[in-house]
Amino acid sequence: MAQKKSLLISPEACIGCRACQTACKEWNQLSAAKTKNAGTFENPPDLNSSAFNKIHYVEFPVESGVRWLFVSQRCMHCDDAGCMKICPAQGALYRTAEGAVAYNKRKCIGCRLCASACPFNVPRFDANGKIAKCHMCSDRISAGLQPACAKVCTTGGIRYGDRDDLIAQARKAGYARIYGEADLSGLGTLYAFRDAPRLYGMNEKPAIPETVIFWNNVLKPLSYLGLGGAVALALFHYVTVGPKKHEEVDKGE
Amino acid sequence: MSKMIRKANAFEILNHWVLAVSCFVLVISGFGFLFHLEELNSVFGSFSRMKAIHNWTGLVFVASLFLSMFDYLPVSLRYGAEDIGWIKTAGGYLSKRAVVPPQDRINTGQKFYYLALLAAGYAISASGFTLWFMAGNREAVLIAHLVHNICFDMVVIMIPVHIYLAAIVNPGALRIMITGMVPLEWARSHYGKWVKEMGYK
Repeated sequence: MAQKKSLLISPEACIGCRACQTACKEWNQLSAAKTKNAGTFENPPDLNSSAFNKIHYVEFPVESGVRWLFVSQRCMHCDDAGCMKICPAQGALYRTAEGAVAYNKRKCIGCRLCASACPFNVPRFDANGKIAKCHMCSDRISAGLQPACAKVCTTGGIRYGDRDDLIAQARKAGYARIYGEADLSGLGTLYAFRDAPRLYGMNEKPAIPETVIFWNNVLKPLSYLGLGGAVALALFHYVTVGPKKHEEVDKGE
Repeated sequence: MSKMIRKANAFEILNHWVLAVSCFVLVISGFGFLFHLEELNSVFGSFSRMKAIHNWTGLVFVASLFLSMFDYLPVSLRYGAEDIGWIKTAGGYLSKRAVVPPQDRINTGQKFYYLALLAAGYAISASGFTLWFMAGNREAVLIAHLVHNICFDMVVIMIPVHIYLAAIVNPGALRIMITGMVPLEWARSHYGKWVKEMGYK
């Protein structure tokens, strides 16, 4: 496997221009969705099936006024991905050589279980009920190109590269804790936050729902172990005790 | 040849096989989803088609489960001294010498089995419909997914036990679900209380 690639989001470098949103739509041929003015630059208000990434605008009151924070949101490409764990359709969600979580719409069965298992509430579904989300421009990166959002980012707010290099660079730039370095065994979308991730609306302790982990570790293996165990027990009983003898059967009805 | 008596009517037999076949289809496709068994595509076509078949078969299953209550629920809720005796002798399955008291239309083990299947069957259906119709409701789906899989484990353990007891280790029992007719003597030894109540001499 090739060196694991990642996106590094640096909110401090972001100027909120939303070129990343436009480039994503352009490359992935996503239509615009009509939205209403909600008194913020944040548009669309949430990820949707034709918006794989978006800038989240935060207005944080401070003494001298307001701090205006921008942060790019999208699929986090978890190494330990809840969506991939729970997905019942072979090949619908898959890991690319670069480490991204990509998908094959033709194999998606539209059950939406992935949306329940995602720690970041990312998967959306198109008009046909098939999954639609950031796939780190899997078609571009497999050809050695950068994802569209990183390509157009004018300030270095979104960078793409070898994961280890990006982490080393962020460290060198003075970011002590890199969001996503270890979460979910390592996210494919890293964040260099100076402030608490909470301030940007990020989940400080992202985790796959416990019911999904219990299902994966216990209930799933128990299904075939239970079935096999019951068959083995029946076989054991047949060999040791054997079938019921019956007078009427003995008489040869 | 001894006298044959009717143990199960056509409705009961037919409904049993509707339940059994739908259950098999559900379990097989269920394993397909759990373990990504692409081999099943040769049967179902694709995972999308398997999902559709799984969902609609679920409707057949729950309808059949509902109808089965007319056959088995009243007797499964009726307990007497013969049931205590059955439990004490473990139904006679562990020893050939054990004397099991005459049983009702179905024996104590069958009563327990039916009640467990009924509970698991309704729970797996309800959770299945939740997964089907409430997709997108995160909390509801997570709970339903858990319940669906717990019941799945219960069902896949119960099915081989049922098949073994009904079709393999008890010679003569399988015909109840084929022709519905059993020899009077056989019925007397397995369901003595019921035979007496039915007034057979």
